[in-house]
Amino acid sequence: MIEIKNLVKVYGDKKAVKGISFTVEDGEVLGFLGPNGAGKSTTMNIITGYLSSTSGTVKVNGYDILEKPEEAKKCIGYLPELPPLYLDMTVLEYLNFVCDLKKVPKADRKVQLAKILSMVKITDVAERLIGNLSKGYKQRVGIAQALVGDPDILILDEPTVGLDPNQILEIRKLVKGLSKHHTVIISSHILSEIQAMCDRVVIINKGKVAAIDTITDLSKKLSGKSKLLLSFKGPLNDVMHSLRTVPGVLDVKSRTSDENGIHEIEIMTDSSLGSDLRSNIFYTMAKGGWPILEFRSIDATLEEVFLNITSH
Amino acid sequence: MLAVFKREFFSYFKSPVGYIALALFAFISGYMYVNMFAYAQANIPSEIITMISFFVIFVPIITMGLLSEDKKRGTEILFYTSPVSLFEVVMGKFLAALSLFGIMYVNIIIHMIITKSSSGTVGIGVVGASIVFFFVAALYIAIGLFASSLSDSQIVSAILSFVILLFFQMLSTLSTFISNGITSALSAGSMGADKLSAIGEKVAYAVKWLDPIAKTQQFRYGVFSVFPLVYCVSVALVFLYLTYRVLEKKRWSQK
Repeated sequence: MIEIKNLVKVYGDKKAVKGISFTVEDGEVLGFLGPNGAGKSTTMNIITGYLSSTSGTVKVNGYDILEKPEEAKKCIGYLPELPPLYLDMTVLEYLNFVCDLKKVPKADRKVQLAKILSMVKITDVAERLIGNLSKGYKQRVGIAQALVGDPDILILDEPTVGLDPNQILEIRKLVKGLSKHHTVIISSHILSEIQAMCDRVVIINKGKVAAIDTITDLSKKLSGKSKLLLSFKGPLNDVMHSLRTVPGVLDVKSRTSDENGIHEIEIMTDSSLGSDLRSNIFYTMAKGGWPILEFRSIDATLEEVFLNITSH
Repeated sequence: MLAVFKREFFSYFKSPVGYIALALFAFISGYMYVNMFAYAQANIPSEIITMISFFVIFVPIITMGLLSEDKKRGTEILFYTSPVSLFEVVMGKFLAALSLFGIMYVNIIIHMIITKSSSGTVGIGVVGASIVFFFVAALYIAIGLFASSLSDSQIVSAILSFVILLFFQMLSTLSTFISNGITSALSAGSMGADKLSAIGEKVAYAVKWLDPIAKTQQFRYGVFSVFPLVYCVSVALVFLYLTYRVLEKKRWSQK
């Protein structure tokens, strides 16, 4: 369990973290969501003992990170934004080095490393130099490093950033698997990623907690209004007029138009009615004889999420 | 500490750095030895003392990457977030660099064996010179390590430690300059010439007092004293402690 109380970090005259408090329960997967520069990494660095806080306390399994750093750090495995890898070592050498640092008893080492290697699926590259591995593999070695010493708590700072879609899916799967035996904190600036992996989410913005919510509640709040993007060929005004008459449509806005008569519009809908408006919109368009070229829902951006959440 | 030591020591042999330092040492000491040997004047103590004057080049090469690379690659975070003290990290790196000097010293052992086997003499002076070798190495490495903690660029660290070491190396030469300077600056006043030269001498003595190599000059003749060694060790510890504080500062920095 991690208890964070009134955490403040000041850099010069800039307050990076302005009084963050939240608690992470045992066994949960907590998402730590916020735009770039919101203070996510700073907060994580403080929790792991890399940086000290200006004021406020962090307690890891009851140990204060500043007063009992060794005990607290033993409970935490940390994957920073940039995985701390020595490129001139092989994966196995590196993990053995981390075992030494984290004081893993020699007797447990072999079994533990074999388990970690197979868990993050890097057994086949164990003898290779880290410098020669692909980015996705490096990220896995970074996760393996965090797992050394079998800590209760894993803190992963943007574990999927810079990876290709396939690798992202694999890392997500990996985190899901890890969450069975560990408390996990994952930071991200991508909403859908947090939704895919976490039970609960702490949203921070400009160094403050904007919301703490479970994923299901968050989705409910977000699903009140949703946005659709429609691209079609036809008369803009007629289309907008007839779409406004469709029940459930709150507003229609024009986005772009080009010289071939292709228009893009945004449709704000009230999906709290429970019905999917997309088929109604399709029939309306079909009745008018206006061909649909593209039709999809637009994901809420993080800014909109903040607006949505804070306005509730 | 052992973990950091192992990692750092073996990493010397994963990059050209360790090999270059060792080869350079073997070349210079070998060249010197061959020259002496050719005239049947193989004097190991003086070889060792001359090699010490090259530390000003060796130490920056060996220490430049010790902490700056960790900073640059982000691997320092491992030390900050693992249950180890940062002082252990500093000591591990320090001992790794010192051990490399141990390997360099093997060259000199070989020279001793050759001297012995061609019925030359290897006297007590060798012991004295060897002691100086390791104590001065320890002092200089501590300085180089400190320089490495100040920057995330190897080059900057190397230049910085080179400058500091050169300063230490030249303390005896500098002392003359400084005392002359002070004497001439004060001569504008109404002080007597006797008094002036006395002040100059005292200042020269004080500056020279800081020179670790001048302090240990007698060792190569087999004259030992503990005091110069205490001096080397304590200055080394001061720099190691400063290095540790620089690392700790990062954690507490508010900038």
